[in-house]
Amino acid sequence: VKANLTLLFLVIFVVAAFVGWDWPNIAKIMPVYVAAIPGMILVFVQLYREVTGWEASRSASGVQMDEVSDVKLDQQTELRRTVGFFGWFIGGAVGIWLLGIVITLPFLVFLYALVEGKEKWFTALIMGVCTYLVIWGLFEYMLETRWPSGLLFGY
Amino acid sequence: MEASLFDAAIKGFFNILQLKVFFAMLIGVSIGTFTAVAPQGLGMPLVYAILLPVVIKWEPVTGIALLIGASSVSAICAAYLPILFGIPGGSGSQATVLDGYPMGKKGEGRRALGASFMAGGMGCLIGTLTLIIAIPAAKPLIYLMGSPELFVIMLWGLSMVAVLAGRRPIKGLIAAALGLMIATVGQQAQSGIMRYVFDQPYLLDGMAISIIALALFGIPSALDLALTKLGVEQQAVPLKGSLFDGIKDTLREWWLVVRCSFVGVWVGIVPGLGSQVVDWLAYGHAAQSAKVGRENFGKGDVRGVIAPESANDAKDGGDLVTTLLLGFPQGVTTALFIVALLAWGYLPGPEMIKKNADMIYSIVWIQGIAGITGTLVGFLLAAQLAKLAEVRYTFMVPIMFIFILLGAFSVNRDPLDLVVVVGFGILGYFMRRSGYPRPAMILGLVLGDLMEKYLYRSVASYGFSWLARPAVIVLLALAALSLFFTLRGQMRARKEASASTFSGAVARSASES
Repeated sequence: VKANLTLLFLVIFVVAAFVGWDWPNIAKIMPVYVAAIPGMILVFVQLYREVTGWEASRSASGVQMDEVSDVKLDQQTELRRTVGFFGWFIGGAVGIWLLGIVITLPFLVFLYALVEGKEKWFTALIMGVCTYLVIWGLFEYMLETRWPSGLLFGY
Repeated sequence: MEASLFDAAIKGFFNILQLKVFFAMLIGVSIGTFTAVAPQGLGMPLVYAILLPVVIKWEPVTGIALLIGASSVSAICAAYLPILFGIPGGSGSQATVLDGYPMGKKGEGRRALGASFMAGGMGCLIGTLTLIIAIPAAKPLIYLMGSPELFVIMLWGLSMVAVLAGRRPIKGLIAAALGLMIATVGQQAQSGIMRYVFDQPYLLDGMAISIIALALFGIPSALDLALTKLGVEQQAVPLKGSLFDGIKDTLREWWLVVRCSFVGVWVGIVPGLGSQVVDWLAYGHAAQSAKVGRENFGKGDVRGVIAPESANDAKDGGDLVTTLLLGFPQGVTTALFIVALLAWGYLPGPEMIKKNADMIYSIVWIQGIAGITGTLVGFLLAAQLAKLAEVRYTFMVPIMFIFILLGAFSVNRDPLDLVVVVGFGILGYFMRRSGYPRPAMILGLVLGDLMEKYLYRSVASYGFSWLARPAVIVLLALAALSLFFTLRGQMRARKEASASTFSGAVARSASES
């Protein structure tokens, strides 16, 4: 995964430099000279570190800028739950596109609690109804914020 | 005629005297409290990322009240998990577990919480006072700064990614370069040229930082909850003792609170130190400077709670000094705060001091009032808040789904926003797994646009002679020196750590043989 992501960044920087190469200087200083070309050089350094195992051999001391994932599950379970999670999330996004936010989010919450969370159907229903009340009651009714109705209802 | 800072302070105070501002601050306080107490994964960056798309449509002072209210109380209430469950809290509150949890187990949980709230509240006020003093002190210097100096300051901020990324400086810089590049997507204001638009009208105005931040931080956090499928594993220790004992302890140790608060302010101001070290520095200082009972540290000494909590809360004031006066963020939370300020039309840094000093003072007032409110909330609702830590993932994950999808869709109400949130969510997941720091990318995104603007103005006004301006040379030298000394300090620390590991291994093998 590590090397693949680094290679993806390399592709992005190469494409960015290639696309911006013919722009006038005023437009390409930042994206090409400051970001893409130094980015490419850094990616090559990083690839060298990954290939030679240089980074892994260094001491683990030092400040960590970002939180580190400390989830300890066997690989298969982690993969299954990760794919499942993104399935729910992408399903929610597609649902909003097709059915609109007012219908999709309460259903998403209800189904997630029922299927994934294995909550009792009544608890899941209460969660779905509460979501509907927040989205329709608070936003549409009280704040008069109209959400788009989704592709199937003439977006 | 330009108003004096005193007038600005008065105006800033009157700006916040509105019912909706107080209401927003109370909502922020509630969100911050929940964030601090709720189990794993809910840090302030995530809360800011979720709130950003909503608050940027509000009046600035109301939105600021919500954001600052959430962040200041989150630090004050961060001691719940360490004291009651023995789980290190968010960054900045991890050292509290060393003495807080033993106190909880001894039946002094309330005393530890009381000390933590009181020390946190006092630390927050000391941090705010430092910010108040820093504004007039910095103003004469700020008037010497033009676009070239501001560009160098931004460059300084960006160079700090190499330091902030600690163990992985190259990955930090790659992430920052990616952020800089994404910041240039859209039509360039200066030349009108379309950059990386690929004939997509959606990309004409660039990509919304609020959506990217929401995806990068929100989705991996929700995924963590879904993966582990739990709240808090441990049972909480029974909440016994008296909050007032903790208050009395803190007042008795007032000098320790003051010293550790200044440790926090210093960590907040100096780029590159980060919130990860603030509590440990303060704890170390308290243990080393203790004249009596040094051996009690780690076994339930109240000073081991007071020191990290006061430093952690004072750090927010120090963070704001750099963010508001210089305009470069100290971390991802302040980077997102800058995004909000930019969306409201403020340019943090010298320009904001010159043109919107009243808004800076409104932020200062809100910071102080939210600190006091957070302390009171902690005292009044101590027992009830402890129950929040037991919320199950089946409630948390759907709530996060709602906020992420609603937050992303509310920016432009364009289905393509959903594609962007999914795409960057997946990128955020892989970045975290591969050790690419996401805050570096956000810093690049925030600073990219500003840097380009200042660079353009500098070249347009002075050609390349701007590089010879005395203030630019001084700032470049300062940036280089600070980078050099911080990196050298890190390398020394790394060598010492390797040496101690080596000597430990030698000692172990000797004893085994």
